[in-house]
Amino acid sequence: MNDPVFGIGKLDDDLEGIPFKKVVLLSASPAVGNEVFGYQIIYNNAIHKNKVLLFLNRTSPQVYLTEMKDYDFKIDSNLVIIDSYSNLTGIKSAETATTRVINNPSDKEEIRKRLSEELEKGYDLVVFDSLSLLIDSFDFDFAVSMVDLVKQKLQTKDSSAVMLFTDWEYGENDINKLGTRSNAQIEIKGIEKRVIFGQYFAVIKCDWVKGKQFSSVLFKAVKPGGIKIYFPKILITGPTDAGKTSFIHSASKDAVSVDRLGGTIALDHGNLDFEGYKADLFGTPGQERFDPLLKLLGGEAIGVILIVDSTKPDQFPRAIEMLRKTETYGLPIVVVANKANLPGALALDDIRERLHLGKDAPLFQTFAEDLSHIDPNEPTKLKKEGVNGALRALFKELT
Amino acid sequence: MTGIMTGFPSFDAATGGLDVRKTYLVTGNKESGKEDFSYRLAASSLNGKLSVVYVTNNKSNTDLLSEFTARSLNIAQYLGVSMTILDNYVRSIAPQAGDNNYTKVLNGPVDLTGLTVAVSSKNSDLLKDGRTVVNIFDSISSLLLYNNPVTMFRFLQYICGRAKMSGVTTVFLLDEQMHTPEVNETVRSLVDGIISLKLDNGKRYFTVSGVAKEVLTWTPLG
Repeated sequence: MNDPVFGIGKLDDDLEGIPFKKVVLLSASPAVGNEVFGYQIIYNNAIHKNKVLLFLNRTSPQVYLTEMKDYDFKIDSNLVIIDSYSNLTGIKSAETATTRVINNPSDKEEIRKRLSEELEKGYDLVVFDSLSLLIDSFDFDFAVSMVDLVKQKLQTKDSSAVMLFTDWEYGENDINKLGTRSNAQIEIKGIEKRVIFGQYFAVIKCDWVKGKQFSSVLFKAVKPGGIKIYFPKILITGPTDAGKTSFIHSASKDAVSVDRLGGTIALDHGNLDFEGYKADLFGTPGQERFDPLLKLLGGEAIGVILIVDSTKPDQFPRAIEMLRKTETYGLPIVVVANKANLPGALALDDIRERLHLGKDAPLFQTFAEDLSHIDPNEPTKLKKEGVNGALRALFKELT
Repeated sequence: MTGIMTGFPSFDAATGGLDVRKTYLVTGNKESGKEDFSYRLAASSLNGKLSVVYVTNNKSNTDLLSEFTARSLNIAQYLGVSMTILDNYVRSIAPQAGDNNYTKVLNGPVDLTGLTVAVSSKNSDLLKDGRTVVNIFDSISSLLLYNNPVTMFRFLQYICGRAKMSGVTTVFLLDEQMHTPEVNETVRSLVDGIISLKLDNGKRYFTVSGVAKEVLTWTPLG
């Protein structure tokens, strides 16, 4: 048995998992949904041998498990489901070793009794999907009494709970009743104008983490893969032939380049899916004749990876000039010193000094994976240690 | 912008079609022809280069397509392009049912959040492509059977609010005989226009109220 976790890097980094006896409220706006958070939390606990109890009134267990599989969250043990849905809609559901069936999902007492009995058996994590449906089916007071029941059981068992809740603009007083009963509250919302053009989550409160500021982050729910922190625009810039295109092609599987004779003449683009993060990488051309494009390409970037050729310090002033021309000076930045294994490559300290980088500024070396397969007309595969190190450092800066 | 043609010449001549960005309730009893109205509206919208998001709450996506075929409404070329079906029914008879290139399978009538997310997300995708969108909910009577009126009110209020904000024309089908007058009145209060249909002596008739071009006397639909 392990301490329960979220299984979502950013949340586990910020909140250090879900300690026993704590209740987490995952509160979503109606257009965004929080069910994938539930799938991911259940999966990441079940595979780490935590016993999970799921109270399910949103859909049938079969459909729920199918949905989980669609996100590549396949589990065959450590999950027990209380099915408070099937008998509402006439779907056949049989009591099994892993399924407890509520005969009458409209009967408060039966729900309370079955849940209470099951909680007595001891689970590491209890998940409710969904608390708001309990409110809609009955009333707020019943839902609150169920939260109280779970909280009471958590005190006597080594267990924690996650409640999935959709905020259909219930009354403020009622929402506060849930808020005061939760040890942590995470909001999941959309950036909604005429269209929904982004979704984000933010830790609103957490009573077991002190003295930490929590930031909101954009995310995407991806099939397969689940919740990925999403950065809509990371700029990859640097002088001609420093290795920008190679970096993008090494970091992403589906990169495309607009190039001629091996030189980028418009832009590179790649979708990055890396350690729970997703990002769109945009690479600039390096030649000065394309400088009018730089401001356009830099617009709305939220982070920068600056690529320099370790053997060409004479290009370093141009590298700094490109930051200015892309108007990205001041954004979180990571520098990648490419071609670090070639004769004449400068040492990291030397590069740091010549680029006027502070001693803590993230700087990584990388070089071609295989020098015998260099084709000047094709992107070169770079050593993943340097590429991954740079990405990790930038994402840390951004979150 | 001109109205959205419904495929019924008498209706379109009298009303100018459905107003873009408005929400409509199509009411009438079982035999009034609400579903026929929605199928022809969908086909007419697609032929007029609009996009349709068709939410089916009481039949599967395959049964829905059979209804179009039975009426000689050929929409095959639009499937997965400008016609998307959100199937909120099939999992009640086939829990393992999955998506295809024109259908997203939803969890069922109780999961209004799932339905809202799917509609909002599909609308966003289409609007980002510069499309004009019509949402059809066939029908909300099924949803009202599984959810209490307060919950449904919140859901419809949210859907109508988002439709207004997004400029999406939205049509709800409702069999008023299945619900109490209070519920019907609540639903009516949320929409802009009300299209009433009836069958009388083998002929169908309509009225329209609540929008600029009203038709307040029963008029033959055809």
